[in-house]
Amino acid sequence: MFLAWIVAIPFLGALLPYGAVRLVPKQACGAAASLAAALVSTSALIIALSHTPDVFAGGEVHASMPWIPRIGLTLALRFDGLAMVFVLLILGIGLLVILYAHFYLAKSDQVARFFAILLLFQGAMLGIVLSDNLLLLLLFWELTSLTSFLLVGFDPRSIEARRGARMALVITGGGGLALLAGFLLLGSVAGSFELSEVLAAGERVHQHPLYLPILLLILLGAFTKSAQFPFHFWLPSAMTAPTPVSAYLHSATMVKAGIFLLARFFPVFAETDIWFYLVGGVGLTTFLFGAYIAIFKHDIKGLLAYSTISHLGLITFLFGLGTPLGAVAGLFHAMNHAVFKASLFMAAGIIDHEAGTRDMRRLSGLWHFMPITGTLAMVAAAAMAGVPLLNGFLSKEMFFAETVHHEWLGHLDWLLPFIATLGGIFAVAYSVRFIHDVFFGGPLQELDRTPHEPPRWMRIPVEILVALCLLVGIFPEQTVRPLLDLGVQSMLGFEPRYDLAIWHGFSFPLLMSLVALVGGLLLYRLRRWLFRAHDWVFPPTSGASVFQRLSTGLQLLARARMPHPTQASLQNSIAWLLLTTLVLAIWPLLPALWSLDVAGLSDWLMGLELSPLDVPSLGAGLILVVAAAGVVGLRRQRLQATILAGVIGLVLSLAFVHFSAPDLALTQLTVEVVTTILLLLVLYFLPQSDVARLSRWRRTRDLVLAVVAGTGVAALALVIMTTQTPSIAEYFLHAAKPAAGASNVVNAILVDFRGFDTLGEITVLAIAAAGIFAMLRGIRLHTPQRDLFGRPWSPDVHPTILAMLSRPLLPMALLVAVFMLLRGHHEPGGGFIAGLIAGIALVLQQLASGQQWSAERLRLNYTRLIGAGLLMALGTASAALLWQRPFLTSAFWHSESTWLGELELTSAMVFDTGVFLVVLGTVMLILDNLGRLSGHRQHGRRAGHQVAAHPAPVPAASAPALGSAPWKS
Amino acid sequence: MIIELLVSAFILIGATFALIGSIGLLRLPDFYTRLHGPTKATTLGISGMLIASGLYFSTGSHDATSLHEILVLLFLFITAPVSAHLLVKAALHRRVYSVAKRPQVLARGQRAQAAVKEREHR
Repeated sequence: MFLAWIVAIPFLGALLPYGAVRLVPKQACGAAASLAAALVSTSALIIALSHTPDVFAGGEVHASMPWIPRIGLTLALRFDGLAMVFVLLILGIGLLVILYAHFYLAKSDQVARFFAILLLFQGAMLGIVLSDNLLLLLLFWELTSLTSFLLVGFDPRSIEARRGARMALVITGGGGLALLAGFLLLGSVAGSFELSEVLAAGERVHQHPLYLPILLLILLGAFTKSAQFPFHFWLPSAMTAPTPVSAYLHSATMVKAGIFLLARFFPVFAETDIWFYLVGGVGLTTFLFGAYIAIFKHDIKGLLAYSTISHLGLITFLFGLGTPLGAVAGLFHAMNHAVFKASLFMAAGIIDHEAGTRDMRRLSGLWHFMPITGTLAMVAAAAMAGVPLLNGFLSKEMFFAETVHHEWLGHLDWLLPFIATLGGIFAVAYSVRFIHDVFFGGPLQELDRTPHEPPRWMRIPVEILVALCLLVGIFPEQTVRPLLDLGVQSMLGFEPRYDLAIWHGFSFPLLMSLVALVGGLLLYRLRRWLFRAHDWVFPPTSGASVFQRLSTGLQLLARARMPHPTQASLQNSIAWLLLTTLVLAIWPLLPALWSLDVAGLSDWLMGLELSPLDVPSLGAGLILVVAAAGVVGLRRQRLQATILAGVIGLVLSLAFVHFSAPDLALTQLTVEVVTTILLLLVLYFLPQSDVARLSRWRRTRDLVLAVVAGTGVAALALVIMTTQTPSIAEYFLHAAKPAAGASNVVNAILVDFRGFDTLGEITVLAIAAAGIFAMLRGIRLHTPQRDLFGRPWSPDVHPTILAMLSRPLLPMALLVAVFMLLRGHHEPGGGFIAGLIAGIALVLQQLASGQQWSAERLRLNYTRLIGAGLLMALGTASAALLWQRPFLTSAFWHSESTWLGELELTSAMVFDTGVFLVVLGTVMLILDNLGRLSGHRQHGRRAGHQVAAHPAPVPAASAPALGSAPWKS
Repeated sequence: MIIELLVSAFILIGATFALIGSIGLLRLPDFYTRLHGPTKATTLGISGMLIASGLYFSTGSHDATSLHEILVLLFLFITAPVSAHLLVKAALHRRVYSVAKRPQVLARGQRAQAAVKEREHR
């Protein structure tokens, strides 16, 4: 189980940067967060390294724990050679990226948030490569999509970042869905979701008629993730990410997930024609296309992005060949590419950081200012181009050799080496362009600042990576061979003979390398003509813009399909919701309705046994009818309608009292009060002018909908209340005391029997609160100072009598709330009701004395309150696990002491306190944010009063743009 | 015996006040004067009845002291003036017809506002 910690540590450690930031003074925040992140990665790396001897000894480390056995999902991990290669890449480069990011990130950026997401991403990536279960792998796969979305869109203020993040999420997330479908099919064909069994079932999968759909779906997942043509465009758009993110995601991790998938399933799928044509074809196309486009990118990161696409295509192609040696070359190049591309991205970031731009048309002659960075970039770029004595050369040579030795295409066999050489030429050309345009090419042009070498430590990661390029390039046998052997062994199941020597003698692949080098240099010399020809032949378009156009078109189409494009209103949405529900509900009933026996139905209705009518019920019923009719009649007077709706709710709570359901009555009462108050607050912001009259058609539609839906609900209620169905109430009534230790069955159901429901509900409540918080944050609404008829609102917003008399009510109301909470298990009450009562008590203070007044006295962070409540409920629920009991098992202790009398403690009470906190926090958060909407007015008023007292000028900045009222000027 | 007499007396007093308040609500000429009925007279009336209730349920065969009435009284005395105040404020804002001259409070408030505004201008 030690193995699981490799994955678990980054996930758990994601909290560490936040904690570290809290502990240190402000100026040390960045260092603390980076240090915490580095610590997390290092510990994961140490655990991974501690497992390597086993793997080197020829074994595999497995760890497995059932999670949801019914669907075949197990927490199964395997640490074999292939996984080890990727784990070392992910953690090793991850560490370097963390060090680099420490210097790259501005101090103002939220460093802790950055490292937390980065660690989450790291954990998800590790999960992918270590998973031994298809479903688990998919889970981590989707997690990488989500976390990379957050990383790419790290700067929420930049529209490009948001767009790039969204595009990456749509493409890779969509691929993830295809992958899920593919995995489900594959699992059903192989008979298990365990990777080991799937890998062993390769032959069966080959023969199966579903082989093609499975292959297509899984490849769709791999290709979208690894940015293969035609899904490549998300990668350049994702370059809006901070450079450390690009260096990590787009060299070693995110895009390599697709490659890893190809490597992992190589034994299952390879060696068929369709695999060769699909994977090889797509890979080769991407290789050539990416290399070609990269030449013409002016942005350094854009160039690197397309070169990444091209290299990924190359690796994909190598796997697509389906030969053992091709797979070896693919894995080798995947490792090499991760190393040199990460260093190149880091170098690009340094240049951007120090020169203030990444545009190669503006950059030149940086060599004089940053010779060391220049040298490092040059070596890395040479590795990218495939210059001898560097790691890129070795794998590229293997690639060239594979294209030559291939015999699939018959008389078209010359095509593969030709395309490979062409791509090689392009690769050399863009590598040369990167180096020459940035570091040479004439003296430095006008820049915003004078560039200089970065801090010493910022360069260290680049230096390490470049040293790796050299080491692997010069001493491949000694450095990388053992690791590669292991990876290949576990990928293929056997070890093919291959040679990592730098010098193979004069051979055709060497000739291809030389042609590529010379050709690339020549191509770069001719760049002016080349650029002109490119502009002439290819109109400036890109996959990203096509995607944008498609998605915009789709949205427009969806909008055009809506019946009323101009009336996108809440009423319309609700009408559609109702209509859909009605159609779905009535559809299965149609045959029954058709053959409805009206006479029999009325007989049945007449024959129903009714309880005797008493005056209070009759009165309450009358009030209900009148109030409901009033709401309909007064719907255009919003205030009156809201109050009447409140009347309905209050009468309903009386009905609950009448039928002896005190818990329900209390809940209904408090909910009604809170909703009415909040609705009235919202009304304040709606236009005061008369609500627009709806068209006759709309009114008819609404009427029909309302009548039909109302009739349906009434009929449903009638049926349910008159049919005798076996009820589970008896069970609850009997089990409440012995099983839950509760005399109040309703509360026992809420916090014990159906505690999971409650947990879900408070989570939904918390999510809703977070949504409201996010939506209303920073919004200021125009708040009128005069009513509809021009009469000024009273300047006395908080009447003294109300303020003074409401203050002593607060402790009393809170006392009632606590009382309700504590007695909930045995008498009517409970966390929900108590939360609402406390909420109402605090709302009253805010209304009576003003938001500022109460905020000064009650320093509560409502979001934290909600979080604490959720954690408390969750903690109580999971505490049962410590005693080897199922989740949410409750415990209770009953003791009778002479001092305290009868004392009963239940764990459900802690759970209920969590509910209490969430409800209270949500109510207060909504109120608080609604109150903030009119912050301007309150502020203005306050300022006005202060001006009257001591005439100081009101700072202009305090008047938000939205709220600038015309009468002020 | 004495208790019963006391209880009856309180009930009668309370009922009288409630009746007077209700007549006032019916007969007085405008909103502001009508408001006195339910808020002042009737509050007094209800408190009379509450005292009666408290007495009755604390004595005789009922052995415990009945304290509910005190709480009801307390809340009644808190809410009645506040709601009356807010009702009047709303009426003033809406310039509901009044037999008396319009109260000067609002006018003063407006004057103060105008002064503030003028000072802001300068």
